[in-house]
Amino acid sequence: MIVDVNAYLGHFAFRRLRYNTAASLFALMDSKKIDKAVVSSTSAITYRNAQAGNEELAQEVRGHSDRLIPFAVINPFYAGWQDDLKICHEEFGMAGLRLYPKWHNYQLSSLCCRELVNAATERGMVISIPIRVEDNRQRSWLLNVPDVPLEEIIELVKAHPKARFILLNGIGYTRCPLGRKDNGLPSNYALELSRLSAVLANELGQLITNLGAERVMFGTGMPFNYPDPALVKLEVLDISEADKEKIRSQNAITWLRL
Amino acid sequence: MAISQIISGPLAPQRRISRRTLLKGSGALAMGAVALPLAHGTAVEQSEASTSSGLPHKVKVIDCHAHLTHRSRTTWEADDRKLIEAADKLGIDQLCCSTLTPRRPATADGFRECNQWTAEGMRRFPGRVLGYCYVNPGYGREALEEIRRCVGDRGFIGIKLYNEYTCTEPVVFPIVELAIELGVPILQHALHSHYFVEDQPRMSDSGHLAELARRYPEAMLICAHISGGGDWEWTIKALRHSPNVLLDTSGSVTDEGTVEMAVEVVGTDRVVFGCDSSMTAGVGKIRGANLSTQDKQKILGGNITRLLRRRKS
Repeated sequence: MIVDVNAYLGHFAFRRLRYNTAASLFALMDSKKIDKAVVSSTSAITYRNAQAGNEELAQEVRGHSDRLIPFAVINPFYAGWQDDLKICHEEFGMAGLRLYPKWHNYQLSSLCCRELVNAATERGMVISIPIRVEDNRQRSWLLNVPDVPLEEIIELVKAHPKARFILLNGIGYTRCPLGRKDNGLPSNYALELSRLSAVLANELGQLITNLGAERVMFGTGMPFNYPDPALVKLEVLDISEADKEKIRSQNAITWLRL
Repeated sequence: MAISQIISGPLAPQRRISRRTLLKGSGALAMGAVALPLAHGTAVEQSEASTSSGLPHKVKVIDCHAHLTHRSRTTWEADDRKLIEAADKLGIDQLCCSTLTPRRPATADGFRECNQWTAEGMRRFPGRVLGYCYVNPGYGREALEEIRRCVGDRGFIGIKLYNEYTCTEPVVFPIVELAIELGVPILQHALHSHYFVEDQPRMSDSGHLAELARRYPEAMLICAHISGGGDWEWTIKALRHSPNVLLDTSGSVTDEGTVEMAVEVVGTDRVVFGCDSSMTAGVGKIRGANLSTQDKQKILGGNITRLLRRRKS
């Protein structure tokens, strides 16, 4: 089984996406033998009221709970986020969150964000944070959204040892405590592999050595990205089949209680 | 791709991606359509057995944009070996490599030293490393002499230009004219961003390459890394009417649809496979592209092979 913890549905403001409906994403997943995918709304990244994106997502995934695991995009500085969180979790069955602190212009260390992380954790929801949405060099002339600095992630995971975080679209973990052995940080975060190198510098291999295969999860970033580069990484990685299976699906199954 | 589709290499535990696996993709997956039955194996077998395209039975997989490591880096030897090992794992037969100075603008001594190391890399990895001669056009006669030495005497396959000058500046023209005389391509570093790139003020983009191509229609130009060169949709569209410019697919960005758009806008014959050190991204994009096996064969090696055969000496 393959579980993709980094997938999306809906429209993105700055680029046309293909395979961004449930039906077309299934076609792509089938062709790549990806069984399940964690999805969130791409529209919610740029909608002022992110909850509208969550509602669109809930509509799109209805009847597909066997394959699509919806996550909510919540902006903790937007009015009514507590109500939105409750609706997303209790009515829409969303198992986790995706946070966009740079796109939504807030600090991970802010009180509101800390309240959101605590509230989601009390609900048993997983919190995923895309370090970036797309490569900054191709950004629109309208905006300049930086990547989420890993230093801010470190402070977040330290401040919330009971929370569970999945870091998406990240790179450079081995150059900071997040990817180092015996780093003094809680083991409350997992790293998704779509941007990690599996040859040459082989950051992926280093992370598995340093943190264990239990802390790495498979993800593609589809339909922003081709799924194949992530699949190729798993194929060429020199680790045991048992460890590959953890990365491919078991870790996500455990974390998401699938 | 299923794990079972990897075939084991001769040296366990290394794994190598077979040519067939590399070529397989979502060829039958229509854009936005529901799932269709896939018949990769049949399509690949038919294509590999066919010569109607004018391609040889088995086209080499050639990375048109690779780099050897500058020797100021203490790990250069191991890094170069890792590049070949990665190519082995990913089913890449040959890599067109340049060695760049760590800082630009390169001095004449600096680029001559780099090219000497590239020549040594060609000898260390015979048949695997093909050399680009890297020069700074600002050195005029010295740059031209270096190109003649590298292409004429050392068997380099082309010229690599970086960001010392925008490719439409007159100082670049003698380089282009020499490339035409020798019948070799120029791989031009390029990026189009919607902001000023302060550390690369003389950056070229595909619009500059289109202008240069109009001035020199006999030149063979390659626009570097559409997948690491900023707004790739802009880059591709700017080259629609430039038949003598090829697009290199390399770069770390793996945006879905990039390769298909390049093929749709400029045609399959003008798209060439590259990695620029982003190896799994490079291979994965081609595998994932919704193109026929025949198109993928052209991109993976057929097109660059055709280009390299135009060498005049």
